[in-house]
Amino acid sequence: MDLKHLKDKYAIVGVGYTPQGKVPGRSALSFHVEACANAIKDAGVNKNDIDGLILYRDFKPLKGDISASVFKVAEQLGIRPFTLSQEADCTRTWLTHAIGLLEAKFCKYILVSYGDNGRSGGRKSVNELEGDTPTGEEAAFGDLSTLSKFGMLARRAMYEEGTGPEIWKKIAVAQRKWANLNPRASFYEKIMTYDDYLNSDYIVEPFRLFDATPVTDGGRAIIITSSERAKELANPLVFIKGIGSSNTSLTPNQLLHDDVISGAKIASEMAFKMAGIDRKDVDACQIYDCFTYTVEATLRDYGFFKPGESKAWFEQNDIGPGGNFPVNTSGGLLSEAYFMGLTQVSEAVMQLMGRCGDRQLGVHPKTKAPEIILCSDNGGVFQSHNTLILGRG
Amino acid sequence: MNSNIYPFSPLIYEDVKSFWNGCGQHLLKYEKCSSCGHIRWPASLICPKCHSRAYTLVESKGKGVIYSYVVFRKVFHPFLEEKVPYVVATVTLNEGPIILTNIVNCDIDKVYCGQDVEVKWHDLDDVSLPIFQPIIAE
Repeated sequence: MDLKHLKDKYAIVGVGYTPQGKVPGRSALSFHVEACANAIKDAGVNKNDIDGLILYRDFKPLKGDISASVFKVAEQLGIRPFTLSQEADCTRTWLTHAIGLLEAKFCKYILVSYGDNGRSGGRKSVNELEGDTPTGEEAAFGDLSTLSKFGMLARRAMYEEGTGPEIWKKIAVAQRKWANLNPRASFYEKIMTYDDYLNSDYIVEPFRLFDATPVTDGGRAIIITSSERAKELANPLVFIKGIGSSNTSLTPNQLLHDDVISGAKIASEMAFKMAGIDRKDVDACQIYDCFTYTVEATLRDYGFFKPGESKAWFEQNDIGPGGNFPVNTSGGLLSEAYFMGLTQVSEAVMQLMGRCGDRQLGVHPKTKAPEIILCSDNGGVFQSHNTLILGRG
Repeated sequence: MNSNIYPFSPLIYEDVKSFWNGCGQHLLKYEKCSSCGHIRWPASLICPKCHSRAYTLVESKGKGVIYSYVVFRKVFHPFLEEKVPYVVATVTLNEGPIILTNIVNCDIDKVYCGQDVEVKWHDLDDVSLPIFQPIIAE
């Protein structure tokens, strides 16, 4: 697929934050609305010019809350967009849909949002348990939670490639160090050492507590428009240089090790080709990190190292603050907050805009101001994958 | 815990009835495409390889190898309290399909990918679950 005609044609022009972490007394809807309103303000666009609204999936509403539907979000923002959509199940369609809508000139400004009140609302890490007694093949075997689905693939990677906790601890601790520089991060004030990681309990072995992303309250939103319109706005320019997408789609317990590799590999090759750049041109990565292993798997599948070479790669490269290969500079899903792929994308945008405070690349000691940042967004269990390459305009 | 009050059971929707009916007789039955020979697992109306509808039911001998596994250490539901730690695994049957299962009658710390296992049956009130145990070399 040749996407070169789209290179640098579109831009991300605003980011909306909300209070995050543990924020009681709020509906999931209110986090969407606040994130969206703040993104509109940050971009400096008129709300009535937002003609596309795309939400990440809505989780099942928690007790006493309503569904955060895209109708409700539009209603509360007081907008009447040309198009509304919300990702079904856990696919990652927002990126290609947004670009398609802009390219076809259906829309001029697309708002993309995620919001949830799962931390205060007591959302379980086991979504099978949120409704009635779980039924289904998976429940019958006690295979509850996303932990076990990713854990199964991580275990196979240990067998195929010799990875394991000695590598995952480096990911967890490096991201925690980034979070320690980010006042918004859930774990801003909490240090984690390798011993803390190794001493944390196994939840679903091979995953320990610190291999998994905690549930958060809060929301995050971004605005995408054409690069031409972006030039009329106040924020520093951040262009979309490359996009790629691939959907493996197989039921998690049918996924083989090689299927895991294929989704991210196809999507990233598409994005690199569109951007006309190579891996060596990437200054930082924001990698979807629902689990530590997801980071390792994605970097491998993006071609930064070959299968079986992760141990050597993590010995030669430092992904933490001051390291040569910065990854997940906000703390990521693991240590900043869980806004699905918008945790990654918003951080990349803010880094390229130079708005990241103490953790800003180029400001933090021994780091370089970034020109190119590579992001990934993963849906389901390695079933849906987006790659996004952003560059300073 | 009395296994018969285990509250979780497979959802037996139309497409997978032939499989679970087979389990009721302690048989692992799969749909094999009559046109291209592909085993349809998960079961489906048409063959994902060639889109033929025709199939025959074939029977697995119930032996395979562990593709991957996890060990549940945390209790996610009160009914699982007496079960932890337990092994959830995928097993590649010698006939091809990969199925989700539990590994039982084993030393949990010695389960491994590639381990040879054989089916045994866990009977619930209205369905039997195919679970697996290591094959002990004689």
